[in-house]
This record gives sequence, C-alpha cells and structure tokens, in this order.
Amino acid sequence: MPLTAGDGRATRTPRAAVRVAPLACAFFVLAAIGPAGAADVTVTVHAVNGKPVGDVAVVLEGGTPGPVRHRERVSARMEQHNRHFVPELLVVETGTLVEFPNNDSVSHQVYSFSPAKRFQLSLYRGTAHPPIEFATAGLVVLGCNIHDEMVGYILVTPSPYHGQTDPSGTVRIAGVPPGSYRVRIWSPRLADAPPALERRIEVTDGDTPQVGFSLAKALLAAPTPRPGRSEWDAY
Amino acid sequence: MRGAGPCLLGALLVCGIARADDRLQLDGLIDLRLVHTDAQPSYLYGGLGTVRFDDDHDGLRLGRASLALRTRLSETVTATAVVDAYDDGDINGAGVSEAFVQWRPFPSNSVRWQLKAGAFYLPVSLEHRLLGWSSPYTLSASAVNTWVGEEFRVLGAELEARWLGGAHGYRGDIALVGGVYGWDEGAGAVIAQRGWALTDRPSFVFGELGQARPGLYYQFDSHPGAYGGISWRHHERLEVRVLHYDNRADPAASNLDGDAGWNTRFNALGARWEPLDRLTFASQYLDGRTAVGPNGSPYQLLMNLSAWYGLASLEFSRDRVSVRYDRFATRQVSGFYGAPADEAGHALTAALIHRLTEQWELAAEWLRVESQFPPRAALGIPVASTDTQIQLALRYRFRFEPF
Repeated sequence: MPLTAGDGRATRTPRAAVRVAPLACAFFVLAAIGPAGAADVTVTVHAVNGKPVGDVAVVLEGGTPGPVRHRERVSARMEQHNRHFVPELLVVETGTLVEFPNNDSVSHQVYSFSPAKRFQLSLYRGTAHPPIEFATAGLVVLGCNIHDEMVGYILVTPSPYHGQTDPSGTVRIAGVPPGSYRVRIWSPRLADAPPALERRIEVTDGDTPQVGFSLAKALLAAPTPRPGRSEWDAY
Repeated sequence: MRGAGPCLLGALLVCGIARADDRLQLDGLIDLRLVHTDAQPSYLYGGLGTVRFDDDHDGLRLGRASLALRTRLSETVTATAVVDAYDDGDINGAGVSEAFVQWRPFPSNSVRWQLKAGAFYLPVSLEHRLLGWSSPYTLSASAVNTWVGEEFRVLGAELEARWLGGAHGYRGDIALVGGVYGWDEGAGAVIAQRGWALTDRPSFVFGELGQARPGLYYQFDSHPGAYGGISWRHHERLEVRVLHYDNRADPAASNLDGDAGWNTRFNALGARWEPLDRLTFASQYLDGRTAVGPNGSPYQLLMNLSAWYGLASLEFSRDRVSVRYDRFATRQVSGFYGAPADEAGHALTAALIHRLTEQWELAAEWLRVESQFPPRAALGIPVASTDTQIQLALRYRFRFEPF
C-alpha cells in the first residue's frame, strides 16, 4: 500500500515521514488480499478563501465488513525541531511504532495525558528512547514539559485507509475496497464544526471517487518555529 | 543571612557534580562597554542619576561578567544559580543574582504544577527573556523593570498552576502564580530616595545597591510578603501578565542598624505581542506605593509610584532594532522634610543589537532621560535634568557542559 502521507510533507520535513519498516522487523497482522476491484479515493481540502490546505489528516472509516486488507507494521517519526513538533500532526494506524528524535540543542521531555496514549519520555536529546507503540485509536496530544508552547498531535486510526493532504490540498488513498465509508478530515488548523468535516461515500467496483471539502471558517493560525530562540523565556 | 547565597550556590554545585548522570550547563557572558555620558552622578556612586554610568564613570567599562549554572537534580527538579560581577565601584561588585531549585512534575491532566524555591526574580518583566535575566531588546531596562531588578528578589517560594490548552484545542495556556518570601522589608528604599532609573544593574541576593546604604534584603517583622498573579500565553504571539505585590512589611518597625520597614505594594500589568515573526511590541504599567513610619502618623513617608513603557522591536537576519519610550512619576503624599520628592520624567531608548557569530554580539544604545526631581537641589544639581548615555557593547557568550 502506498502510504501517501509522507509525500506531501517531503519538502518541509524530509525525515518526518511515515515509512514501512523493513520486512525483517515487521510483523504481520492476519490479513487477506483485498478484492480486485479496489478503488483510489482522492480527497481535496480547500480553505474558505479557496486556497488548498495541506497537512490535513484524511481517514476512511467503516467500509463493508468482510475482507481485511493486508497490513504491515509501520513505524513513524515525530521529531522536535526549533522547539516545535515536526510534523505538527501525524496520522498513524493502530499498532504503529513512533520514534521521537530530538534535533534541538536543548533537551525535551515529551508527554501525553490523552486517554488514547499516556506516556512520558524522560529528558533527552537525540534519539534516546525506543519507539512507542500507539495501540489505541484516538487523538493523542503531545506536549513538552520544558517548553509549554510545544504541542503536537498523533491521530491514531484503526483504518488502513488514511493519509494527509499535500500542499495542493490533495491526498490519494489507494486500494480502497468497495463499500460504504465515512471520510473524516482533521487538523488543528480547522475551525469548522465536526459535522462539516465528514462525508459518506460509496466505493464501487472500478470507481475513482473524488471527495472535496470546502471549509466555511478561516483556518486557525499555524505555529511558526523561530530559530535562535531555543533558550528564551525562562522568566 | 548574608552568606546564604554563596552557601546555596555551593550546595547546588556539589549536588550537580555528585550526580554524574545529570547534565551540568555553565553559560558565561562577558560584556564590555564603551560608554559616553554627561549624566549627573550615578546612584551607584552616591548620586541621584537616572542612568547607570555618569560623567566621571564612563569610557571602557565592564558591563557584566556572568556565569549561569544549571543542573538537573532529578528528572523533574532543576537547580539554577547565576553569579555576576559589575565593575562599578559599588560595595557589592560581585555576587549571586539568582539561586533556586525548581520542581516541575509531568502533567497528568490539563493543569501542570511548578514549585520554585530559593532566590529568583519576580515574574513581572516582559523584557528579560534571556538566561541571566537579560533582555534581547536593549542594554538598559525600562524604568519598571530596573526597579524590579533592583529592589525585588524573591527569597522564598513560588507556586504556579498552569492550565495547558493543547489538549482542549487551544494553543496557549493560563497560569495562576503566587509567592511567599521574606527579607523584603528594604524594598522601596531605593525608589523613595532616588526615584526611577533605567539601568541594567540589578542588585545581588542579600546585596546592597549604591554606596554606604543599608542592605536591601532584611527582615525584622514576622510578616512574610506575598504576591499573586496571572500569566496568559496565546498562540506564541501574545503574553499578558498581571501581578499584585505586597511585602506586608510593618512600616513602624525598625532595627538597631537603622533599617526601617518599607511597606511596599504595587500592581503590575504588561503585554507582549508579536504579530509577525520579526516584530515585537511590549508594554508594561506599574502602579504602587511605599510607606515608612507608623501608619496614621503625619511623619510617615508615603509615596505613590507609577511608571510605564512602550517598546517596539524589529528583527532582521542578524540585527535587532528596538525603540522604547518610558514615562514615570513619584508623588510624595506625606512625610515632608523639605520639598516633596515628587518626580516626573520620561525617557527614550534606541538600541541596535548585531549578532556577529553564535558567540559574539555587538550592541549600541542611545538613552536620554529627562526628569524633574527636587532632591537634586541639595546636591547642587538642577532639579530638571537630562541624562544622556551612549553605550557600545561587545558581548561574548560561551557554554560549557562538562558531563
């Protein structure tokens, strides 16, 4: 399965992409090959001003019970750079292992108290901790206990059909079997109410569904890392 | 108690070194100044000047030599000590500026607690964002924060409860902060005697300021001082701080050394707004009073104090340009010994800071303070005076991490 989530952000965060772990260390979930008529679902997201919105998580949920697609255990990285989480939002499938490498010269103490995953990483620089498994679906909000302004998100979904929009506001989710799905989008930038952020679609044999979201509310401001301020604001 | 600062510092060092698995960070700063000023005699040399240097004390000067030690005693406990030296002929030319232990446990819900104990600055200034309580904007602090650095060092404990918005979709946080402290009965003496000033010369822990003064940090009543405030940070763009301070000193108390209880309280309000990555606006307002002598007595010296500033700063690739306007006043309500020591003044500061390398920095600052202060007449100085000070600073910063 081509995990398109990494493609869009490649220019900004070359090392912060979801990647399939080497076969040697992957383990396999009991799986079957999807039906031959699997479709590619394209989702686009546009802001109220008509501009495309990148880095939006897109998840296809539901589907027709039956064939389960083949899945590999994947790993992902949530880096820290210039006192920010990079990427700010990561979408992973349940069971994904996530690394938290710190690229800053200052130490971080990453934590989450979200119900989907509570954890604390003791003070570190570089890649001091083994990856953490995200086994429960839900939104995990990350913080750093040294730098309160650092907030990151890991959206954990049981669905293998997910991705993130690229800078053109588009993501193509490949190999979706026929069935009825709920398409959900989410990003910390989106101000629209949740009902406006989901659609129902029917995927039929040989179809190439396209789903477009046009947001009604202006995007919330994105945090902008400011290099050179690694030691600011201790008072 | 005068040796408490160095003792605490020593203890921190020993603790830091004893735990070899913790990091010890040493951050040093050497700040050399070329100063030109026609200012009236500085407070540090027995005068009533409004700026740090004066006509007889300019030329090549040591702006500051500083060493900050930070170590981690456990996963959530850090210790910080800052020692400074100023070559300005003051009784206390070198000493400890800060020495405190901070405990910040991981949050288990949206409220994160933090406890600080030791000697540290009041959480008032929105200018002093850098290690060692230094400002990225100007060399000389505003009138408000000069006073905060001179007369207020918390010698006690501070508790903070911060609501973290991240888990609720809000990019920001709000904190309630409160502190209790002792050795605070001297706070108010300097402002009452000299009025407002704009310097980068804070006092030391248990130190003195100016020549032949009683110490600033003493205690002879049983009333600990207290402060409480709110800090709100919004989207990394806006920070608002409000603080009420009351040292709860008995104004009727005095000791055999001639130290009196200065009953000082104030409200401070400030905001810093960064609408663009390179643009900063900041403003703070402080309004308070200090009193010495029995309450109700016509001999009680009661002085109202107020000051504010507005600052704008623009950052280029290696340069930062900042302009600040200060306005300040004192009004003596009672306790006249001659003319009331009412002060009124304003100041304009313009600064350029140029980063040469990661470690070297050049800074230039022009500061002009115009003020009226009747007590100057006794020193043969015009009541209405203008102090102009031009400084060129060469700063070198270094870091050493032995472990």
